[in-house]
Amino acid sequence: MNGFLYGVALQWKLDIRSKSLLVTCYIVPLIFFLLVGGIFTSVMPEMKSTLIQSMIVMIVSMGALIGVPPSLVETYRSDVKKVYQANGVPLYLGLITMFFSAFVHLMISCVIILLLAPILFEATLPVQLPFLFLALAIYIMVSLSIGSVLGLLVKNQAKLTMIAQLVFLPSIMLSGIMFPIDLLPNFLKNVGRMFPASWGYRLMLDHGFCFENLWYLIFVFCVAVTVCGILLKKQR
Amino acid sequence: MSSAIQVRELKKSYGSHMVLKGLDFQIEKGEIFALLGVNGAGKTTALECIEGLRKYDSGVVTVNGKMGIQLQLSSLPAHIRPMEAIRLFAKWNHVKSDYAMLDAFGIKEIEKKRYIQLSTGQKRRLHLALALISNPDVIFLDEPTAGLDVEGRLSLHEQIRKLKSHGKTIVLASHDMAEVETLCDRIAILNNGTIVFCGTALELTDTVGRKYFIHVKTQQGDRVFETDHIEDTLISLLGELKQKKIHVLDMKVDRGTLEQHFIEMARREAE
Repeated sequence: MNGFLYGVALQWKLDIRSKSLLVTCYIVPLIFFLLVGGIFTSVMPEMKSTLIQSMIVMIVSMGALIGVPPSLVETYRSDVKKVYQANGVPLYLGLITMFFSAFVHLMISCVIILLLAPILFEATLPVQLPFLFLALAIYIMVSLSIGSVLGLLVKNQAKLTMIAQLVFLPSIMLSGIMFPIDLLPNFLKNVGRMFPASWGYRLMLDHGFCFENLWYLIFVFCVAVTVCGILLKKQR
Repeated sequence: MSSAIQVRELKKSYGSHMVLKGLDFQIEKGEIFALLGVNGAGKTTALECIEGLRKYDSGVVTVNGKMGIQLQLSSLPAHIRPMEAIRLFAKWNHVKSDYAMLDAFGIKEIEKKRYIQLSTGQKRRLHLALALISNPDVIFLDEPTAGLDVEGRLSLHEQIRKLKSHGKTIVLASHDMAEVETLCDRIAILNNGTIVFCGTALELTDTVGRKYFIHVKTQQGDRVFETDHIEDTLISLLGELKQKKIHVLDMKVDRGTLEQHFIEMARREAE
């Protein structure tokens, strides 16, 4: 356990040093939050009631789908993997430590949104804060599990960038965080429901924490974890 | 003396290309054993099969004792510091860091640097230290001096000799004839997936001769002389150049490449 905890703490430090996760978990999402928050709340004042949840979904999706996979490719498609194997470090360590480290980074980023949004844009604070954090933790885990599948599955960074965008963009555009989902045609509405972002968003809304909004996220998480296990086994 | 490693009929293919065609050899405990071969001969594949890092098609590999592995192509996360990597691997192996060993490899001098900032030599030293962290009985070194300057090579040779003096078994993959001749007790030459020679350096010299290459650079151009008797040839060559009043700009002696030795081996076999 000692080695595992040290690995998690070390990964946290490496993420801060490498700056790539800092950019995708903090800098870009927070700039986006400042821009979009300002524009949306002036154009559509009713968005103030859901701004926090919308921005949280955006930050988590960006960090998990665009920030984490390249770090995994760096480890699992390089000689780092072999060095770990050769020195008795289990292969899953890289994945698990990156998962935990990114979880904490994303949680911090979301707390920053939660604190800033009411001050900067008069956003409404969620009434059920404990449920919001529980839903947030679940959504981060599901998003990171999908990011992990991408990082373990795709062999090179160029392809990964393209595929990650193919998952990230519809997640954001069709989940209802940018505009009400009812404005979308039925086909796009159904496509949007395939991405966990729309489920995570509904789960985080006030009185949205219920099994009806939760089951799909649990299902996606279980599938993603199984796929990660298979992909890690294949790495040997 | 009991054996540290036994390899029997080891075969490995990549698709239809057979890289290892049934290797057979044994390495004794406390021995420095070199696996020589030109690039693409299968040295790294053979080592990785023995180390358990690569699956093989058939054969039996037995390693008696704990392994320490330094890979040919090694890498670590770009922003990790040397002592962080050492602590991580030490914790996973449930051992304490051996600070005397780390001092000997000069890890203390580079502890503040990040992996990405290390020179090739510093990286090699770090990976060797990582390979030794669990106090292994059998140490695999895949081209450990590749990319090192003369000072780095000598320092690493000294470390390898020290390890031998502590009773460690060392398996070295290299394509540098001179290096293995000075360090190793026995040599196996791998060519095209099979072992074409296995024995001592002396036995190898008996087989292929002790070929030297003298590279002479003058104002008239560059010339290369081959010889089995370096002292006599050098004396007569320098005498001849002096007599002809040819000014020598540069002169270098080396033992030739493995390719040259293979060509020579084939030529002698044909004769």
